[in-house]
Amino acid sequence: MTTATGNQDRHSFFLNMGPQHPSTHGVLRILLEMDGEYVLEAEPVLGYGHRIQEKMGESRTWKAFMPNTSRLDYVGALICTHGYVGLIERMAGIEVPPRAEYIRVITSELNRIGSHLLWLGAFLLDLGAFTPIMYTFDDREQILDILEDVTGSRLTYCYYRVGGVNRDIDESFIEKTRDFIRRLRGRFKIYQDLITDNIIFIKRVRDIVRFTPDMARRYGLTGPLLRSTGIRYDIRKNEPYSAYSEFDFEVPVGTTGDCMEAYQVRIREMEQCLRIIEQALDRLPEGPVLVKTPRKLKLPPGDASFSVETARGELAYYLVSDGSDVPYRLKIRSPCFSNLSLLPEVCRDMLLSDLVMVLGTLDLVIPAIDR
Amino acid sequence: MDETDRLIDDLGGLPAAVNRVDYRRRGFHLEVLLNAEQVRKLAGMLRDREFYLSFVSAVHLLPAIEVLYQFASFALPCRIMARAAVTEGGTMPTISDMFHGANWHERETRDMFGVVFTGHPYLEPLLLPEEDADLKPLLKAEGELKTVDKISAQPKKDAAEPPAEEER
Amino acid sequence: MEDFNQLPPELIRMIVAVVVVIGFVFLNSLVLGYLERKLAGRFQLRPGPMEVGPQGVLQLIADAVKLLGKQFIIPREANAPLFRLAPFLAFVPVGVSFIVIPFSQKLQVRDFDVGLVFILAVMAFNVVATLVAGWMSNNKYSLFGAARSVAQNVAYEIPMLLSVVAVVLITNSVSMKEIVLSQQEVWHVVTQPVAFLIYFIAGMAETHRAPFDLPEAESELTAGFHTEFSGICFSFFFLAEYTNMFFVGSVAVALFFGGWSGPTLPWMDYSGIVWYMLKVYLLLFIMIWIRWTFPRVRFDQLLNFCWKYLTPIALVNLLVTAVLVKL
Repeated sequence: MTTATGNQDRHSFFLNMGPQHPSTHGVLRILLEMDGEYVLEAEPVLGYGHRIQEKMGESRTWKAFMPNTSRLDYVGALICTHGYVGLIERMAGIEVPPRAEYIRVITSELNRIGSHLLWLGAFLLDLGAFTPIMYTFDDREQILDILEDVTGSRLTYCYYRVGGVNRDIDESFIEKTRDFIRRLRGRFKIYQDLITDNIIFIKRVRDIVRFTPDMARRYGLTGPLLRSTGIRYDIRKNEPYSAYSEFDFEVPVGTTGDCMEAYQVRIREMEQCLRIIEQALDRLPEGPVLVKTPRKLKLPPGDASFSVETARGELAYYLVSDGSDVPYRLKIRSPCFSNLSLLPEVCRDMLLSDLVMVLGTLDLVIPAIDR
Repeated sequence: MDETDRLIDDLGGLPAAVNRVDYRRRGFHLEVLLNAEQVRKLAGMLRDREFYLSFVSAVHLLPAIEVLYQFASFALPCRIMARAAVTEGGTMPTISDMFHGANWHERETRDMFGVVFTGHPYLEPLLLPEEDADLKPLLKAEGELKTVDKISAQPKKDAAEPPAEEER
Repeated sequence: MEDFNQLPPELIRMIVAVVVVIGFVFLNSLVLGYLERKLAGRFQLRPGPMEVGPQGVLQLIADAVKLLGKQFIIPREANAPLFRLAPFLAFVPVGVSFIVIPFSQKLQVRDFDVGLVFILAVMAFNVVATLVAGWMSNNKYSLFGAARSVAQNVAYEIPMLLSVVAVVLITNSVSMKEIVLSQQEVWHVVTQPVAFLIYFIAGMAETHRAPFDLPEAESELTAGFHTEFSGICFSFFFLAEYTNMFFVGSVAVALFFGGWSGPTLPWMDYSGIVWYMLKVYLLLFIMIWIRWTFPRVRFDQLLNFCWKYLTPIALVNLLVTAVLVKL
């Protein structure tokens, strides 16, 4: 896969898109074999942020591991935690009250919108446009303020509990969320004019690289990239969890698997998230938000799996329990890991600028890859 | 459900122990227990049926490490969890030529557990640095190692009915 | 002391003028730097510098003081003499060429008969600075920036030259003063709009302004050709970029917008500079606006745009102008 020295026939040289680089969105190192401006081979080198979360999972009780789940994909932290608490509830057979499920859906979808807004700003920043990130972060600040009121944190939330959520939402939360929905719907026009209709953006992004359904199957590609190839696969629809089966929303798909299509899919996903939040707010049931669970929660022996749809793809937890209050094995399957593994195939003979653009489209959060 | 039934029939020809499990309790639809030699056939069968590979990992048990495979289907709602014990030499045939995503998953499994995947094009450390290639952090210490039955659900019952005792 | 009185007054005037012009240009670069940051803030829904001085006007001075205190690190394998020389190579040529810019009727250091040719020659020298800076840094990213800069600058010289020659065809002279004086009735932007547009775009590409800022593409090449420069030399590159921008704007105003012409003010011979500066700053505002709106073009798209669109259009414009002038 790698050559020790550059191939002399091709006059190539090695460029280190090193652990510190403005566009790798975290500590990712990509070893590039270049011929002038063309990338001949790209090999990602991982492990700079490896914190062995899975071993930590084996040495902490079920409940004590929960903060770690927020630190995997910290941009969409609530969704990651959702998967973990869902898994424990599935194994223990705990029924979550409907109000808690709805609150989980609302906060998860807000988190998803925040994640997509961050991706949008960072993607344009990689392409050299310094202004859109300020606009998207402005919108994202509203979400962070709303979520801070109820969870207490801005980024790495620890809000869900086994059996529900920590605190109930109140009238001000609902009102602020409705205001935000109205505001964001108005902002989509700005993004359309500033970004989507921008000729330079279109020329940079359209028809550069093509993700195919076969590629998706071979690499386990999930998330908006998969949907841009035309495969309509969203865990929230195909294997519904929590309260998602009660809501009416579309799963946007593209046709060609282009980076432009992936961009469009994410923008339309944001609109669908707004729909879900609206429906959830309209139909929010009354009741408790947390059921009592034993202090020392022991799960029956066996194994179980739980998959959630994060903003980047399918995050799957698989755990093996031996009957005690500490997991025997906890496996975390991160979407960015599988998404990044297709980089060597996709970026052969590509310009360096296009490689940066593809990395942006993949929407990577490196701590989720390194765990 | 027709497709899944046909799949179960084909898998039964492997030969492997295929159980249909309760999705609500386990999170997957089919559980497949097989030997190391049958893994490639399973992968080939699933590749032809448009399944994607979710992950490859392992769990350290007595008497041997078991390699875990999770596949899921884009079209049907069908998620398959396969477990295979490694051979005596601690090896397992690779499936990275059929599912290219397994390339990195197998490298990670080798880092964490020391399972050598024969036929893998480039089994170098992925997450660990080169000097720690033999660290194998996720292997369990002697006293913590369990046998397979200790970590299995209520033995060999049809898992459609929930287990009798529930701790509350 | 007597020797001093024997110096020709012309020489004294020249020395004073050069010093004043260089100081003026330097001051303008500072103002432009501040303006860019304030405008960037406004375009991005934030206030920009606000802390240092009222509305942050002293921000660049604070930055300069900070940068003066930083250590100038030379990488071990870098070519030290040329490495040190690179920032000055960036700054000096364009500073020198302000000699021929006619700020007003009487405010011009020296009017060469071939003023425009002098300007174009010195502008072509710009590329040497980035090439030396990038190549001598012994850093692959800097080399990338340098290589891109060479290709970009050399390519965009052509449309710039062609558009300027179209103006020369009308005015029949290459002296800057003559060109400005020939626009008393009608500005050349009215008779040569295409040439102005091409010159403006090529000028932005020459000065590495976004969307053409590939040599220093932050998100791809860390910092491009000036990755390895720290301290005051780093700021020299930025000052040079702003000076370049100011220069391109000044030349554009002289060639296309009638230089100092405008409604009459008292002491018009000298106060024409007011109109001059107003027009230049209008063009600079547009440059800054474009920078903060558009993403970066890709390198091959950049060169395609130059060779496949700008150059043919400039040629056609030249041809049409030549025919019309003859008629």
